[in-house]
Amino acid sequence: MSRIEIKNLSKKFQRTGASDQSAVTAIDSLDLWIEDGEFFTLVGPSGCGKSTLLDILAGLSTPSQGEVLVDGQPISGPSLERSVVFQQYALFPWLTAAANVQVGLESQARHGQGLNKAERRIRAHEYLRLVGLEGVEDKYPHELSGGMRQRVAIARALAHEPKVLLMDEPFAALDAQTREQLQDLLLDIWKRTKTTIVFITHGIEEAVYLGQKVAVMSARPGKIKEIVNIDLQDRQSVDDIRSTQQFGEYRHHIWSLLHSHSRQDVAASVEKTLISSGATA
Amino acid sequence: MSTLALPDQQIRVETSSAQRTAPTGRAGATIRKTLYRSGAIIGFLLVWELIPQFLLEPASKVFLPPLHEVLQQLWKMIVSGDLLTHISASLGRSAIGFLLALVIGVPVGLVVAWFSRIGDFLNPLLEVFRNTAALALLPVFTLTLGIGELSKVTIVLYAAFFPVLLNTILGARSVDPLLIRAGKTLGLNNFEIFSKVVLPASVPIIFTGIRMAGTSAVLVLIAAEMIGAKAGLGYLITNSQASFLIPKMYAAILTVAILGFVVNAALVALERHFSRWARA
Repeated sequence: MSRIEIKNLSKKFQRTGASDQSAVTAIDSLDLWIEDGEFFTLVGPSGCGKSTLLDILAGLSTPSQGEVLVDGQPISGPSLERSVVFQQYALFPWLTAAANVQVGLESQARHGQGLNKAERRIRAHEYLRLVGLEGVEDKYPHELSGGMRQRVAIARALAHEPKVLLMDEPFAALDAQTREQLQDLLLDIWKRTKTTIVFITHGIEEAVYLGQKVAVMSARPGKIKEIVNIDLQDRQSVDDIRSTQQFGEYRHHIWSLLHSHSRQDVAASVEKTLISSGATA
Repeated sequence: MSTLALPDQQIRVETSSAQRTAPTGRAGATIRKTLYRSGAIIGFLLVWELIPQFLLEPASKVFLPPLHEVLQQLWKMIVSGDLLTHISASLGRSAIGFLLALVIGVPVGLVVAWFSRIGDFLNPLLEVFRNTAALALLPVFTLTLGIGELSKVTIVLYAAFFPVLLNTILGARSVDPLLIRAGKTLGLNNFEIFSKVVLPASVPIIFTGIRMAGTSAVLVLIAAEMIGAKAGLGYLITNSQASFLIPKMYAAILTVAILGFVVNAALVALERHFSRWARA
């Protein structure tokens, strides 16, 4: 339910004490506009700075240059308005599923704008039901499967009703079947809550299936190569939309965007190794 | 129909008989396992009983009385209440020192871990202290604090403090940074990150330190009591030896062994209870 503007954003990493030139540019003057209520996916090779970008959106790290505005307001640190779902679930292992879901609600209550204890418990159960988990309220994370843990993490991120949901390769550690289930679950939730979702993945198919827009990133330095509008009908109204021709075209288009650069790299590096091995022989 | 029903019935019979035999089989296995595990202890006690009885000459038998004499003596001391006095003297001292070590060690460890610059500064000194045997400092404590309760509680505190402190530092430092990041995005401020994420996440490692501290609290205290005290199990051992009450000495040693075992078992149980969630 929020609009995100990224203006001329750069992020450099520098080792302490190292010179300015040795700094690694993770993101280089990036501009992005994410509409209110949009499902926005970012796809790119590893090391393209997509996780760095998500960290900045979450307020967990600060940009070296440029700014990020959420509803016109610059980001200053983490906020309950922007929830994060991490690849490795990041559930608190000493809390039960229901208690995990209540962590954000408790923070809200401490700031005097939240629910009381009984309401929080009801809300936690509601959101666990929303992600298809019932009867696991009192289970600890280590008693749940990977897919269930990620469901709890999604419930935890949503329970305090954030305006933006940031997801950092949330389904990458799951098996294919569980991943598809959770993708559909996420689409359902998005349709119901109208939360703005920024979803990072390295899976092209996942990006096309979920996103209204797919931003393709290139690596070193991280830049947006192209933003592809995905103009598919409702994903779940068609049987197996992934095998339609249109879906395939989107998939292929993004695939070529991602590979046009790296193929040249591969060719160059192969040539280099041939030359160097020829020199040693 | 009947031919079809037959195999089904057979299966049912088989499963029910399997169900009947399974529990007794399992119980038998448990008994066998327990017997096997306590075999060494039973063997040791038998050796203690039989060798002085049949192999030792009367002159050396005085120095190593058979187990039953020691147990008789132990029973006498239990009945007279003598033993309880000494046990409570020892337990009281070690409990006070141990609890003080917890109350000081855990918060100090958390602060040291949180402010890494303080940690870097203090760490070399802590390493020196930790590797100084507590008993080597007993004369210092006796000189400065007298031979009363204070010096004994202090040495227990010293011995128990370092395992607690160092494990707290280790535990707090090894918290998964991802959990801290998650906590921040869920609206926790710095203090809440500390109390709601870092502290609970380090509980299993802190408890390992607490268990080590508990064991060394008992060990060091007994030694300290042997050097100078008017009551306590360590005093009982040396005093019985000096008075040539050999069975009494062994009874006291046996008590020390059992006490150490019980303290450790209790702390292990506590550790398990608080680290349930860590068994992923």
